[in-house]
Amino acid sequence: MISVRGLEKEYREEETPTKALRGVTFSVEKGEFISIMGPSGSGKSTLLQILSFLDRPTGGAYTFQGKSIDDMTDQELARVRNEDMGFVFQSFNLLSRLSVYDNVEVPLLYSDTLPAKRRTLIEEAVRAVGLADKLHTEAGKLSGGQKQRVAIARALVTEPNVIFADEPTGNLDSRSGLQIMEILKSLHDRGRTVILVTHETQTAEFADRIIRMKDGLVESDVAVTEHVLRGTLK
Amino acid sequence: MLIRDAFKTATRSLSHGKMRSALTMLGIIIGISSVIVLMSIGQSAQNLILGQVQSIGSNLIIITPGAPSGSGFSPPASAQGIVITSLRQQDADALSREPSIDYAVPEVRGQAEAVYGNTNKTIGYTGSTQDVFTVSNLAKVSEGRTFSKSDVDSGNHVVVIGPDLAKSLFGDNVDPLNKSIRIKNVSFRVIGVLSKGGTGAFGVDIGNLVVMPITVAQKQLLGISYFNVIIVQANANYNVDFVKARVTFILQQDHGIINSSKNDFNIQTQADVLSILGTVTSTFTLFLAAIASISLLVGGIGIMNIMLVSVTERTREIGLRKAVGATDSDILQQFLIESVLLTFAGGVIGILLGAAAVGAVYLGISTFSPSLGWSFAFPLSAVLLGLAVSGIAGIAFGIYPARQAGRKNPIDALRYE
Repeated sequence: MISVRGLEKEYREEETPTKALRGVTFSVEKGEFISIMGPSGSGKSTLLQILSFLDRPTGGAYTFQGKSIDDMTDQELARVRNEDMGFVFQSFNLLSRLSVYDNVEVPLLYSDTLPAKRRTLIEEAVRAVGLADKLHTEAGKLSGGQKQRVAIARALVTEPNVIFADEPTGNLDSRSGLQIMEILKSLHDRGRTVILVTHETQTAEFADRIIRMKDGLVESDVAVTEHVLRGTLK
Repeated sequence: MLIRDAFKTATRSLSHGKMRSALTMLGIIIGISSVIVLMSIGQSAQNLILGQVQSIGSNLIIITPGAPSGSGFSPPASAQGIVITSLRQQDADALSREPSIDYAVPEVRGQAEAVYGNTNKTIGYTGSTQDVFTVSNLAKVSEGRTFSKSDVDSGNHVVVIGPDLAKSLFGDNVDPLNKSIRIKNVSFRVIGVLSKGGTGAFGVDIGNLVVMPITVAQKQLLGISYFNVIIVQANANYNVDFVKARVTFILQQDHGIINSSKNDFNIQTQADVLSILGTVTSTFTLFLAAIASISLLVGGIGIMNIMLVSVTERTREIGLRKAVGATDSDILQQFLIESVLLTFAGGVIGILLGAAAVGAVYLGISTFSPSLGWSFAFPLSAVLLGLAVSGIAGIAFGIYPARQAGRKNPIDALRYE
């Protein structure tokens, strides 16, 4: 589903080039749950931005569902983001004055979904994250955990193949964080591909596989079961 | 993005900052209402002036001395201090014999002080024949009578005076009839007072006018034998342009002119005068609208400023929308619709306020000066212009902020604090 080969990303600020990715290679199969870990500055967020089509690499190859990013226009990238990808951010990124319903509707506004079908999709997505009773509550009035659940509903509503989550538990207490991870796990159990960036080991453990990044390179790419067997999770 | 969704999104964003939206619209509201008010008042003034000219009848032809001024408009020679003596009694007589002409009425005009007892007043006087009361819309006399052919022939010192002059010279308690007034030390007997609301030839205000036999005005007041103007009334059975051509022919014959470019007289029909006045008043109206549009420009810049602030404030929202699939043009469209909605709503409110102000002006003038004949004009063109300008202002002043919004990089936008 996802294949990156020798992926590079170089930022050029004031004539000083900085390489955030120095040749990253790995693949993700459909239905996998991947955690990307690493210290800050390791390139994990940059990698997620490229994988989620929010940015383009400066070197290497990236194919998503068999199509190379290099062959796609910005409009096509936007379309893929809308149809095939869902996003969960650390800081939720909800429109606080809008209701839960209106927030979850946002991706549908840019899709081909007929207005008549939207209500069902939104209600299903909100129900899936356990917030059916908050459908018309203003997003700004929800707790942190509830906000992140709304964000997951928003990511789900277009029924994407992949969900990208960037530190989804970073701004939450441990109980709320656990709830969020259980929701992501259940989505994975129902066949969705989930790619998660985190620096918390207990969050990363929900995945099938952990890719560790260091200095813009993949340091290790090991199944969680193997980590458990080796006792290398830390 | 469906246009319906784009409108819903835009109205929702605007309604979240009601006060800001209202203040942003204020500039456009003031601009559009100013344009509407000035265009409407200009139109009313135009109607008033043209209506007065039209009220004297479409079959009048005015002949003034001096060479025609070509296609443009320039003041008559007499107004430039040039004395031209080319119009004389023989011209009036020759024109009177023409079958397509009902009347050929000569006039002389001057200004002087009119004195009654210790009261004096600056007046404009017209010397003419008895027919002047028939051809021009000098209205009827409200008191007394007009002068007769025998008054003209005998050179009787009689005058018919305007209603305002009657009031200012004689007050409310003295009957002006048969009283004696002095003009340039010549004594005249008042035989009639003109009724209110009439106009002199081609829109002259008759309130302070004095009309007297032409023989007296020429000999006693002006010491001349020529005319300042001859007013011709065409016979109703003839086309005015035909009569104009006949007048030209007769005067050329009379003055021995072969080449039209050497004409020493100028002929204007009511249509010519209306055309000139129409051009002048339209230009005036446009000038007023141009001044008002400056406030529209200021309002537009206000819109642009607020939209730029709004784009900056909503950077994260833009980032999110792009992340979930909005394209540059979706974002551009959303912000453009917001600015057009703001200016368009401002335009509609401005038009309504403008209409109210125009109505108030009409009520005020018709209450305090009913005789002016001020009409209520609210031209559709002003409304359409208001709507079009407000819509265009929304696009013109919204496009830059909207493009800024559309171009934002989603990653930078999402990171924006």
